[in-house]
Amino acid sequence: MALEDYRNDMETCRRCSACKFIPLEKVKGFQLVNVCPSISRYNFHTYSAGGRLVNGVALLENRISFSDKFLEVMYNCQMCGACDVSCKYAMDMEVMEPIYETRIKCVEEGHTNPVLDKVINSLRKQGTMVPGARAKRGDWAAGLDVKDCTREKVDVIYHVGCLTSYDKDMRKVARAIVKLLKKAGVDFGIAGNNESCCGGRAYQMGYKADFLNQARKNMEAIKKSGAKTLVTGCADGYQAFKVLYDKFDLKGSLEVLHITEYLDRLIKEGKLKPTGKVKMNVTYHDPCYLGRLGEPYIHWQGKEIPGHIRVFDPPKEFRRGTKGVYQPPRDVLESIPGVNLAEMDRIKEYAWCCGAGGGVNESNPEFSRWTADERIKEAEATGAEALVTACPWCEKNFSDAVKTSGSRLRVYDVVELLEKAI
Amino acid sequence: MTLTRDFYRALEGIVGPENVSEDPVVTESYSFPIRKATMPDTNVYMPRFEAVTLPGSTGEVQAIVKLCNRNKVQYKASSTGWLYCDPVGPNCIKLDLRRMNRILEINEKGMYAAVEPYVIGAQLQAECMKRGFTCNLAGAGANCSALPLAAHAGLGHLSQSGSYSERNQLALEWVTGDGDIIGFGTLGSLGEWFCGDGPGPSLRGIIRGNTQPLGGLGVFTKAAVKLYHWPGPAAFPMEGICPQYVHPEIPSGFMIRYLSFPDIDALVEAVRRVGEAEIGFELMGFNAAMMASNIATDNDEDLAYLKQFTDHIQGPGFLLIIAANSPRDFEYKSRALQQIMEETGAWSLKDVEDPVIGAGFMWRFIRVTGSIRETSRATGWGGGTVGGTDVFPLMTRYILHTSDLKQDLIDRKLIMDDGIYPFIQSIEHGHAGHGEILIRYNPAGPDHIRNVQGMLTREANRTAIQGRFGVPHHTYSDALHDMYGPEACNYHLLLRKIKKNFDPSGSSEASLYITAKE
Amino acid sequence: MIEKAKLVKIVGAKNVISEPVTLLEYAEDMSFVNTVKPDYVVRPGGMDDVKKLVKLASETLTPLVPVSSGPPHFKGDTVPSAGGAVIVDLSGMKKIIRVDRMNRVAMFEPGVTFGELIPAVEKEGLRLNMPLLPRKTKSVAGSMLEREPVVMPKYHWDIADPLSCVEVIFGTGDMFRTGAAAGPGTIEEQWAAGGAQKEAAGPSSASWYRVIQGAQGTMGIVTWASARCEIIPRLEDPFFIGSSDLDKIMEVVHWLVRLRLVNECFVVNGSNLAAIMAKRWPGDYRNIRDNLPPWILFFNIVGYEYLTEERVNWQTKDVMDIAQRVGLELTQAMDKVSAFDLLKAVQRPSGEPYWKLRYKGGCHDIFFVTSFDKLPGQISVMYDAAREAGYEVADMGVYIQPIVQGANYHCEFNLYYDPDNQRESDRVRELSTGAVRQLIDRGAFFSRPYGESTGMIMNRDAATVAALHKVKSILDPVNIMNPGKLCF
Repeated sequence: MALEDYRNDMETCRRCSACKFIPLEKVKGFQLVNVCPSISRYNFHTYSAGGRLVNGVALLENRISFSDKFLEVMYNCQMCGACDVSCKYAMDMEVMEPIYETRIKCVEEGHTNPVLDKVINSLRKQGTMVPGARAKRGDWAAGLDVKDCTREKVDVIYHVGCLTSYDKDMRKVARAIVKLLKKAGVDFGIAGNNESCCGGRAYQMGYKADFLNQARKNMEAIKKSGAKTLVTGCADGYQAFKVLYDKFDLKGSLEVLHITEYLDRLIKEGKLKPTGKVKMNVTYHDPCYLGRLGEPYIHWQGKEIPGHIRVFDPPKEFRRGTKGVYQPPRDVLESIPGVNLAEMDRIKEYAWCCGAGGGVNESNPEFSRWTADERIKEAEATGAEALVTACPWCEKNFSDAVKTSGSRLRVYDVVELLEKAI
Repeated sequence: MTLTRDFYRALEGIVGPENVSEDPVVTESYSFPIRKATMPDTNVYMPRFEAVTLPGSTGEVQAIVKLCNRNKVQYKASSTGWLYCDPVGPNCIKLDLRRMNRILEINEKGMYAAVEPYVIGAQLQAECMKRGFTCNLAGAGANCSALPLAAHAGLGHLSQSGSYSERNQLALEWVTGDGDIIGFGTLGSLGEWFCGDGPGPSLRGIIRGNTQPLGGLGVFTKAAVKLYHWPGPAAFPMEGICPQYVHPEIPSGFMIRYLSFPDIDALVEAVRRVGEAEIGFELMGFNAAMMASNIATDNDEDLAYLKQFTDHIQGPGFLLIIAANSPRDFEYKSRALQQIMEETGAWSLKDVEDPVIGAGFMWRFIRVTGSIRETSRATGWGGGTVGGTDVFPLMTRYILHTSDLKQDLIDRKLIMDDGIYPFIQSIEHGHAGHGEILIRYNPAGPDHIRNVQGMLTREANRTAIQGRFGVPHHTYSDALHDMYGPEACNYHLLLRKIKKNFDPSGSSEASLYITAKE
Repeated sequence: MIEKAKLVKIVGAKNVISEPVTLLEYAEDMSFVNTVKPDYVVRPGGMDDVKKLVKLASETLTPLVPVSSGPPHFKGDTVPSAGGAVIVDLSGMKKIIRVDRMNRVAMFEPGVTFGELIPAVEKEGLRLNMPLLPRKTKSVAGSMLEREPVVMPKYHWDIADPLSCVEVIFGTGDMFRTGAAAGPGTIEEQWAAGGAQKEAAGPSSASWYRVIQGAQGTMGIVTWASARCEIIPRLEDPFFIGSSDLDKIMEVVHWLVRLRLVNECFVVNGSNLAAIMAKRWPGDYRNIRDNLPPWILFFNIVGYEYLTEERVNWQTKDVMDIAQRVGLELTQAMDKVSAFDLLKAVQRPSGEPYWKLRYKGGCHDIFFVTSFDKLPGQISVMYDAAREAGYEVADMGVYIQPIVQGANYHCEFNLYYDPDNQRESDRVRELSTGAVRQLIDRGAFFSRPYGESTGMIMNRDAATVAALHKVKSILDPVNIMNPGKLCF
């Protein structure tokens, strides 16, 4: 699909501003009703989903061009999907899809952000979206004696992800996952230096061709491994494998699970028994690409039926974030003795973004930090000692924010706490 | 027309460079998203504002207004900006009041709240509920401003027991068209919010009637609004993930019913009895289509519910919510309702009686979250006509005239067939009422719009004038005021004088209000 | 000076009065405003007369002072502030035009008094939301145009209630009808269509009735008014709650109004309740007053058509629960005063002599709008000021009326005095001026300024004054309508 194919969706926008707020049924007070970091930070309607859709049509009609301002607005969006959820409370129209297509169109027509170009260069050359050499990707696993899925048949592939592999502060998450999977007796392997980026973040940034390139390479490798299940601890990776690969008919029958889904299953099957007490008051942050955007892709081919109400033949089921992964991470936390979970105000399908996604982390670190700071304040207000999440990008952004803001919050991944309990 | 550099720099000086933009990417996004195929005039798009500003205070608003006056540039202010806030010509800037978003005070013993324009209804209601209060949200939805002066009329779902914004208004702050700041009532005299009238005559009389100036008479920057007792929980219990929210129970002391009647006379009589018995918390004459929209989570479901509800109602109807302040109160209200239903031949829609489905209906009606779907019905294009505000039977009769027109449009397949019963609502326990005919259609082009909306509006005007039904709410713009004015004591001449006196340069863009043309 | 012949041509000779004795009656009232004699008193018969009068006045720049109530007047607004004035006495326009049960509204001319309108609406099962014991000669339209507070806060949604629409001749000479009455159509055509001239706001984006209210006749002359009415209850059960603790009383008031449990609801002090209920003077009055608690809350619980008795029963129980929370009890009699007798009294205008004049022959009222939290402080200020001025505080009446469904309160101090006693008169006058200033400092909002304090009140809000001048320039550009009042 191209931007033109979403014209009807974009023109269905009613300018109601729902995209700026959490679903209105959920509003419990004055504070914390905003759900879109972009308009919350920059205030012009332009930065909201509604503004982006109007501009999407304007672009098609050559009323505006790929100016610097256009690119600035377009790239100052974490692609978190909150607008999509809030809009689709009432409306049958795509919101994120045309926003993705706008970025893709930008890239295809040569209008890019040089900072993001640099990231993509790294992807093309080293197979990673973070600085690092391909040859060093597997270094985190040194001494862990993990099967190499490029050489041995395994049931499960653990796809580590770029940030977890290369960032020294995040490697502990990978090591914790390995420990837990081994403890549960899972037959799993990693690709080590042969692992390559899922491509999901490249897609978010609009580099569709590069994403497809990565996707095809990865699926070839996965098929060769014989693995039926892929597990990842990165929300971006999860959404890429589960949703995007499926969208482009590349996933096949591969079962894709986020590590929290898998651990939840293992705990419920009795294969992991968290018995050690971890006395901690925590709050949980739903990563966008695990939660609302982690909902399975829905294949649909059909057409809009001309008429006075927007219905389709065959009936089209819209993805609205309803079936994202919200409960498994919570169930894992609940299973850890001593952990008390206090929820923030904006959670699950209307969680506030950590700030790192969509290329913002790279192209506008100040905005990324601002977004994270907002979430830190929200987490602190729960009285929790720790902010727990299930994505390395979220964890890293929060950790960095906590350091600079002087907050006393500690930041963990779910698996780190589970590791302590096993 | 481009703004002069001096003018633009002056704007930057007032709000800061990060809070003003004339970039076409920004100004384009403030154009209403009506696309070429659907515009009445195929050659002209909705024009852009010359620049968009984001003032953060009354002082900044005043400075911008005065600057515009000096430089003969027009301006138009809006809050969340859903309809009625677009320019119609060049040389106009936008004041987007998003940064003025504070709740200034909630006074529990005074039972009022004072807000800035970008506080949305959901926020104010949620804060009020924590304190045992609620407020009348604009019927357009909880996504709209809580400022009583930031709507078209300000009627809402609570109007039966919670009136509407013209009547709930207490003190307010107004930056006039030429940049004076006037605090009404106690705000001007004492810096307080509790009274909006005096000393002497009330200036509330010149800034709005049952409709508002829609950006054409300066900027309203703060206002206090009456609150009403809320006997329910601080937050409505709910589960599930959007949009499949489930509300496990109706709170104690609450009841919801959708009642349909054999004919309109029975409905009018029932509204009178419910009003005089003072048992209704909300009474809204929604039709089956609006009920379906409230509960549906997608369009196919909407159509299915529409059919289901249409099959189960006997005629026109209304939604009634009862909210009791004590168990004895609930007992009384329930029994009184039962009697009224028997006396008027009402049927109760079973789906609404279900405790879980009913709870969902109830919360969405109280929080007014269904309006986006109700008004848009997810086609992105709606229309219709609105009546005025006057005694309930008269407003009902008025809007029924236009429902005949709707049937004709349905028969000719020009609009969606979602039933012809109008929407009518009761205000202040039946002391007043208001009605609307809402239509959904996917315009095939500008001719289609002319044939449908144009016809409806023409007929609605003809009916209002010839039938003596009052001045409807859709009367805005010079042309319509010029049409209605001579029929109604030449009120338009007085409105023009207000405009002339309080906006002598015509700086507030007044295409949806009135200009001071001589 | 306006030519008498021209006035005669409009209203007829017997309706133009120039006898000095009559003129003197309009030249002063019971307030402390200066005595200013009008040149004539005219009595128009209807709207056409008024229109012609205004046109004539406009041509000759003659001040017009509209009066709709009969004497005695108390606030100075009906006394000319400028020489050469013509009093337009509408008190003879006594038509009750229409009473509409279905739409709960009545329409009447300005001369209609409460005593005349009440039976007419009662015939249709309706009642008025009335001020507290208006005098016999008080015009209903006049009361509503003054924004007088009314005793049923439940039905007082807006400070303008119960006024609906008016027909007015502005100072420009133009006739205008406000709200739904504006049109389209004549009044009769509107009736035929089902209209009832009930909706007050409008037409369209202005609510002109609000600038006519509170204007003291400075914008125009009203020739009829409509007012919303309420249903007559089928059962009424009135109660008192007495206490020396005003805070507790007010807490109960807040909840009674907030929960919409009662119809009539107001607070008076012992002095005022005694003044209302005493039959023999001064013995009865002192006897009653001295045996009453300092503060008395009066309220009325009612039942309508549905489950009448049950409604009264459960509401009474709910009210008892509220009272119990602050340790107060309901009663239907206080010493010699029966709540039923008070209820009967307040549903009618005052008997003669007017209740406020029975004690000493004169009464000066200080009244303002205030908020729940400021009220106790303001009452203290007034008592202190009275003491300091040497006024016998036990004589002072206090009346607290929740209005706008409890969003704010009308607070009124009634200073009884002997108008023939110069010392008493001077004392009250000085006390009034000084107290107003102190009360303003404590957050009192004199939304209806009258008399000598008007300038002090209006001048606090220069922006509003400037805006009012603009409104005045629209409706009365040559300032013939009661010039000298408010800020005009």
